[in-house]
Amino acid sequence: MTLLHKPATAAEAVRLLAADPDARPLAGGATLVAMMNADLARPSALVALRHVASLATISRAADGTSRIGAMRRHRETVHESDLRGAQRIVALAAARIANPTVRNMGTIGGSIAFADPAADYPAALVAADAVVEIVGPQGTRELTAEAFFVDWYATALRPGEIVAAVRLPPGPLGAVARYDKLVRVTGDFAIASVAVVAVVRDGAFAALRLAVGGCGPRPVRVAEAEALLVGARPGSPRIAEAAAALGAACDPVDDVRASAAYRRRVVPRMVAHALGTLLAPEARAA
Amino acid sequence: MTTQDVTLQINGRAHRLAVRLDTTLLTVLREGLALTGAKRGCNQGVCGACTVLLDGRPVRGCLTLAHDAEDRAITTIEGLGAEPNPVQAALAEAGAVQCGFCTPGMVMAATAFLRDHPAPSLEAVREGLSGNLCRCSGYRKVVEAVHRAGGGAP
Repeated sequence: MTLLHKPATAAEAVRLLAADPDARPLAGGATLVAMMNADLARPSALVALRHVASLATISRAADGTSRIGAMRRHRETVHESDLRGAQRIVALAAARIANPTVRNMGTIGGSIAFADPAADYPAALVAADAVVEIVGPQGTRELTAEAFFVDWYATALRPGEIVAAVRLPPGPLGAVARYDKLVRVTGDFAIASVAVVAVVRDGAFAALRLAVGGCGPRPVRVAEAEALLVGARPGSPRIAEAAAALGAACDPVDDVRASAAYRRRVVPRMVAHALGTLLAPEARAA
Repeated sequence: MTTQDVTLQINGRAHRLAVRLDTTLLTVLREGLALTGAKRGCNQGVCGACTVLLDGRPVRGCLTLAHDAEDRAITTIEGLGAEPNPVQAALAEAGAVQCGFCTPGMVMAATAFLRDHPAPSLEAVREGLSGNLCRCSGYRKVVEAVHRAGGGAP
């Protein structure tokens, strides 16, 4: 009886997972093994994805789209020079995950498949307008990050499916990224996080995507608020209006990190701060 | 649960053991091989007392399954050598050990950190060791000692 399978291809990994509903894919182990230690998960077998070469690569297409394989470690994503412009939001988020030791272990595919709403990638991927590539028994399919994250610790993955890669479009020309994370202590999960990708032209927002993490079952994005911000300059009342709209769209809970009421109060301030900083002249110079 | 044989390369030596699927590298080290330098603190990947090197990089021994470590080079604090390395010497010199439970994990994380970050700033040392908790809260001397071991001024 084989306990730990080591498939060399994604197709073989999917076949092994489909053949045994109690088998689980093993990525970096940072979450699954912790759950096994706590007796919260008792897989019958594990399918180690570490040996699937196609899951471990990052590539950049001619049009500037970057494709991050599911098994890329957080450490690698932090330092990835192929992530540029709007795509930097994912590297900035990766740099805030846990600590250097855990970043040596955890993977982008494992993290998003677990889908902790207080984790760093969900809001960043929504802000980056990312696409999640999925492989399963029925072949491959893809979903936007917004469609991928569906609820607390729940994704659109079906039984037997795994994340193959995350694809990041090049984003608008001249885009800059900012990731703010409010934590009790460095390396903790977020009380709240704000991921913004923006183009600032002549002192005003020309384009923008913004997502809030840690304040509800899935990343919070308000398209109306983004539309409102196009053309906004420093000090514009529309910044406070958009920030309030993001706060109102949050659906936080009380947990060990903060109360829901605190999160509702702090999110508009975090959003306004991130937007104000992006519009400041120093940010444009950088 | 049934066991399956696994060969682990630990401190340059191959060890063949029968191990369950859910057995972590930390458990094999401590209970199978009596290498008790790596400590079991939280067993959830939070405290860092179990830090060992996998192919030269620090990882959580408690979050690494023994079977998943099969083809990789594992280094524990016992494998650093009989003589104290610069990190160990600096920790001793600074009196940076209180109860000592976190120290082996700190040494492993700091040794890899200084290899990759020569002459780091104090702030970089703090970030480098941020995955290792000291419940005596004796961080200051640890950070200063690692900074000094890396060539920073005392």
